[in-house]
Amino acid sequence: MRSKSKSLSLVAVVAATTLVAAGCGSKGEKTADSGGASGTLAIGASMSLTGALAREGALTKEGYELCQDKVNAKGGADIGGKKVKLDIQFQDDTSKPDTAAQLVDQFNDKGVKLILSSYGSANTEAQASVIERNGQVMADSAGADNKIFEKGYKRTFAVLSPATEYAASIIKAIKELAQPQPKTIAILSADDGFSKTVAEGGAAAAKEAGYNVLPTQLFPNGTSDVSSALTKVKGQKPDVIIGSVHLVEGVAIIKQAKELGVMPSGGFGESVAPPTPDFAKTLGKDAENVLGSSQWTDSTKGSDKYFGTAKDYANDINAKYGHAPDYHDAEASAACLALVMAAEKAGSTDADKVRDALASLDTDSFFGHIKFNDKGQNVYKPMSVIQVQNGKAVTVWPTDSAEAKMIWPGTKQ
Amino acid sequence: MSQFLQATIYGLLQGGLLALIAVGFSLVWGVMNVVNLAHGSFVILGAYVGWKLNSAMGLDPFLGMLVAAVVLFAVGYLLQRWLINLVINGPIFITLLLTFGLDLLIVQGMNITFSADYRSIKTAYAGDSLALGSVRVPVGRLLAFVIALLVTFALVALVNRTRTGLSIMATGMDRGAARLMGIRARHAYALTFGIAAALAGMAGTMVGTVGTFNPAAAGGFTLLSFVIAVLGGLGNMYGALVGGLLIGLVEAWGGQYLPGTWVNALAFAVLVLVLVFRPSGLVGRAYYSARQEV
Repeated sequence: MRSKSKSLSLVAVVAATTLVAAGCGSKGEKTADSGGASGTLAIGASMSLTGALAREGALTKEGYELCQDKVNAKGGADIGGKKVKLDIQFQDDTSKPDTAAQLVDQFNDKGVKLILSSYGSANTEAQASVIERNGQVMADSAGADNKIFEKGYKRTFAVLSPATEYAASIIKAIKELAQPQPKTIAILSADDGFSKTVAEGGAAAAKEAGYNVLPTQLFPNGTSDVSSALTKVKGQKPDVIIGSVHLVEGVAIIKQAKELGVMPSGGFGESVAPPTPDFAKTLGKDAENVLGSSQWTDSTKGSDKYFGTAKDYANDINAKYGHAPDYHDAEASAACLALVMAAEKAGSTDADKVRDALASLDTDSFFGHIKFNDKGQNVYKPMSVIQVQNGKAVTVWPTDSAEAKMIWPGTKQ
Repeated sequence: MSQFLQATIYGLLQGGLLALIAVGFSLVWGVMNVVNLAHGSFVILGAYVGWKLNSAMGLDPFLGMLVAAVVLFAVGYLLQRWLINLVINGPIFITLLLTFGLDLLIVQGMNITFSADYRSIKTAYAGDSLALGSVRVPVGRLLAFVIALLVTFALVALVNRTRTGLSIMATGMDRGAARLMGIRARHAYALTFGIAAALAGMAGTMVGTVGTFNPAAAGGFTLLSFVIAVLGGLGNMYGALVGGLLIGLVEAWGGQYLPGTWVNALAFAVLVLVLVFRPSGLVGRAYYSARQEV
C-alpha cells in the first residue's frame, strides 16, 4: 500500500509541475534573423497574453498582427530597395514587468534588435531600461506614463499621447462645450503610476481653466470597490466627477455612485474606460452620457499607405477579428507602423539607424500625426474626447472631428 | 457622522459576502488540511455560470446562484474524489502544488472560453438603493449580505446537526477512527470539497451581480479567503463569518480615514496583529484541534 501511495504522489508531483510549467512558460522559441538577408525582418514583441492585463494584451497583439498582415500583403517593407517581410515574434510576459524586461533581453540574445512594447506603463517602463542598455530600439504602443520619458532614454518612442493628456482633454472639452459651466471638479484616481500622472494632468488643467478642484481621492489599482472615495466627495457636492481609472474601477465608479446616491449636477468623465465597448455593455443605461478620452477613434483624421484612413482601419479590424476596433488595437498598429516607416526611411534594419530615423520621423497616419519630441513622446497628436450616447462611444471633441454634439448636463435623466 | 455610518454599512455588507467566499476555504483547510489555492477560481467560475444563465436565458442571478451552486458542487466533488484524493496523504506542499496547478488551468480555461473581458450580471434592481436619512443601503448588496448570512448558518447547522455533517467532522478529527466506525472517508472529503466549491460558486454569482469580474480576479479572492480563514480560526465556520465582517469593516473605515491607499496593506496588518495576540484566530480553537494524523 505504502509504495503504491508513494508512486501516486510522485505522479501527482510530476503532473503538478507540468501544469505550472505549462502555465508560466513561454512559447514560440525560434531562432531569429534580424537582417534582411533572407527577406524577413524579425521584430520582438513581449505580450501580456495571460494574467491581469490579458484583455488589453490580446487587443495589442491584434494590432501588431494586423500591421504585419498589411505590410506583408504589399510584399513587405521597402528597406534599401529590397522588399522585406515582417516576422513579429510574440512571447507571453504574463502581465509581469520583470518578465517583460527579461524577454527583451532574450530577444537581444537572439539578435532581435527591433522591439514592439508590451501593454501598459509598468511593463513598458521595465522594458525601456533594458532596451537602452542593450542598444535595441522600441516602439511603444501603450506606455503613456510621463515617468518613462523623464529618464533621458534615447531609444524608446511612444506613438500615443502622454498620460497627462487623458483627463486634461476631458477638462478642455468641458471648458469649451459645457453649458452651464460646472464650478467644482472632483478627481478620483487609481493608485498606479499611470493613473496618478493622469490625475495630476487633469487637476492642473482644471485649475488652469479656473475650476475649483477638490483634493484627488485615491483607491487601490484594480479594485471593484471605490465606495470610500465616493463617500468622501459626496458631501462636497462636486459638479463633475473625473475618474482616472482602468475599466474595472471605471465601471465601479458609475455603479457605486448610483448605489450611494452620488449624483454630480454636470456629469461623469473617465479616462480609458468609456471608449471600450465593454463599458457600455457592462453598465447598460447607466453608462449613458459618460465622457471619456481616447487615443484614437475611427473619426481621427489622417491616412497612410499601409492602413489607409481611420475608417479603413476600423473595417479591417472588424473583418479580421469580428469586433469594433478598440483604441488599443489602433495604438499597437501605429507603433508597428512607426517602426516600419522608420526602417524604410533609414533604408536599413540596423538598430542605430532605425533609432535616428524614428527620432526624425514626421508623418501622417490613420492614427493621426506621428512625430516625437526629444524625449520620445508623440505630443503632436490631440486626444479625442468621446461620450457614450445610445450605448455607443461617439467623438464629441475636438469639434473638427466630432460625430455628435456633447450632451450636457450628462446626468440629466 | 453620516460618512462614518455610510462606510460602516458598506463595509458590513461587503464583509458578509467576503465571509461566504471564505467559509468554504476555511472548511476545507480545517477538515482536510488542504490549502486550496484554486478557491478563487471557483468563485469566478460561479460568477460565469450566473452570468451565462442571465445573459442567455435572462435568469435572475439570485436564482442563477442556485444553479451555480449545483454545478460547482459537482466540479468540487469530482476534483476531490478523482484528483486531489490521490495525494491527500502527501505533505501539504504537494496539495499546494496541485491546487496551484488547478488554479492556473481553470483560470486559463476561463480566459479561453469566456475571454478576459470584464463582465457584470445586470439586473433592474441591484444598483438601486434604499435611503435611510442621509445613508444609502444598496439593494443588491443587502440581498447578497442576507443570503451570505443565511447560507453560513445553514452550513453550521448541516455540520453540527446532520449525520452527513457529523461524518465530515469526525473524518476531520480522526480519519482512522472514522473509518473504523464505517464512515467512507473519501466520500466525506469529496462532500466537503463539493460544499466548499458550491458556496464559492454562489458567492461568485453575487460578486458578479454587485460588481465586475474577469478570470484574473481569481487570485485576489484566494488571498482574501486565506486572510479571513486564518483571522477567524481555521475550520471554524463562525470564525470565517467574524473574519469576513472584520475585514469588510476595516477596509471601509481605512478607505475613509487613512490617506492615499494605505487600505491595501490594512487587511494584512490586521492579520498580523490577530496572530500576535490570538494565534488560534479570533473565534477560539477549531473543532478539529483533536486531529489525529494517520
